[in-house]
Amino acid sequence: MSNSHSDTIPLHPSNSQSDIDEIRSLIDDSVHSGPAVVLPARHPASTPPPSSSHFISSNIPPPPPVSSSSSLQKLQSVPAAPPPPPPVGNSSSIVANGFGPPPNTLTEPVLDTVKRDLWRIVSNLKLVVFPNPFREDPGKALRDWDLWGPFFFIVFLGVALSWSASVKKSQVFAVAFALLAAGAVILTLNVLLLGGHIIFFQSLSLLGYCLFPLDVGALICMLKDNVVAKVIIVCLALAWSSWAAYPFMSSAVNPNRKALALYPVLLMYLSVGFLIIAID
Amino acid sequence: MDESSYWNLPSSHLLGSVPAVVNEESEASYGRRGGGVRGYQTLGPPTEGFEQQSQNNWKGVFSISSYTQYFDVDTDVVVNRLISSFYPAGGDFFNKIGANPDLYGLIWITTTLVFMLAAFGNCATYLIQKRTDRTTTWSFDVGYVNAAACGIYGYSLVVPVAFYFLLRYLGSNASLIRFWCMWGYSLSIFIPTAFLLLIPVEILRWIIILVAGTASSCFVTLNLTSYIGGSNDLRMMMIAAFLLQMALAIFIKVWFFP
Repeated sequence: MSNSHSDTIPLHPSNSQSDIDEIRSLIDDSVHSGPAVVLPARHPASTPPPSSSHFISSNIPPPPPVSSSSSLQKLQSVPAAPPPPPPVGNSSSIVANGFGPPPNTLTEPVLDTVKRDLWRIVSNLKLVVFPNPFREDPGKALRDWDLWGPFFFIVFLGVALSWSASVKKSQVFAVAFALLAAGAVILTLNVLLLGGHIIFFQSLSLLGYCLFPLDVGALICMLKDNVVAKVIIVCLALAWSSWAAYPFMSSAVNPNRKALALYPVLLMYLSVGFLIIAID
Repeated sequence: MDESSYWNLPSSHLLGSVPAVVNEESEASYGRRGGGVRGYQTLGPPTEGFEQQSQNNWKGVFSISSYTQYFDVDTDVVVNRLISSFYPAGGDFFNKIGANPDLYGLIWITTTLVFMLAAFGNCATYLIQKRTDRTTTWSFDVGYVNAAACGIYGYSLVVPVAFYFLLRYLGSNASLIRFWCMWGYSLSIFIPTAFLLLIPVEILRWIIILVAGTASSCFVTLNLTSYIGGSNDLRMMMIAAFLLQMALAIFIKVWFFP
């Protein structure tokens, strides 16, 4: 067996059981580390077809030290390809150790996933919306954007408006949802068309997070019914939202066109604010 | 998400661009078509006659960079065009646009107008009803938003297209983008009008809307005339443009501020 692949020297004697274990763990490596690690299939007989569904459920131990002549070449390829960097922004439940692939997020408990996403929403909120003297350059803020937060905020706003409406509730929800969702897309396209530099989904995410103050305003307006109080609350929420969105939008375009990029944002928040005041 | 590497790359020229193969084709045919297929690069506005021919290659429809040429305006340019649309005298709007028509005005003026009509229409309806019947309560009719959107967007998109095709059929030289630009800016006078129509005095409302409608219609007609150059055939079209704009003004008054 060792002479057929003459450029390698077998270190240890092998048995078939460790072969299978090794192959399984190496295929798990390739599943988790993506195309960065290429397993050269030198020994066709011992390479099963990589059907990842069989191997997903295993907890991956580090590759065993036992090697055979045929799997030695595979082992040599594994340390050559460094383990991939972990996904950015994971909380402590996913520990990226330098040795071996990161744990499989498909098999973690649902509670962990939910907690991780909620934590990400909260941290993004803190970065974007809340006054923070250590706020880093807003153009680079929200590296770890996600669309769950904006989705929740838009739906919450639609539900709050629909709740406080006395007639045509479903039409109110539809108008609010369409206005916000289409509005975010159109605002992003507007900046791109004006020659600005933003990333599409990052901008959608940011505009969604900036809705949070209006959500709070809508909630308060749902509970209190006095028109003057509503106007004051909505104006405050509007100012807060615009303050949150301003640096991001204005830094994305040429300074000559700053007002052209900001005006539609103001228009959208103003129309949402008006809907909040007017719906009762 | 490793966004920082994207941020630092100079990528404006890559926005929505198609691969180089297509560019080479366009370069090869450059001499023949005189730069018609320039939709992939933001080199500036294409020449007039080739705008329509360049749609042979429909891939440009789906990339953003082929539309950035229509948004190549700064804040002061837009404000300048807005102000000039308030004074109907002098038909020099098309000269003012020059080689740089923009669709920014069309899109955002119509959107603002939709919002204003929906918001102030509701307020004004409430105020008028309050005058006649003290006991009415405020109710927000969301149908106003739908009506405003359909009416304003429909008008500002369809009417220039209709005029464009009509003029093309009659042999005159017309540019769809310039028509859209002009009609879009002509609607800007209705924005302060919507605010003024809040006044709950009926006769005053009619005066306001007629004045605004006349100003807007004169703007459209004078500019259209100076663009095309007067001739007998086209006089009907000028009258049609005038009447359509007046019809829009009346529609705004009757539907949103009854």
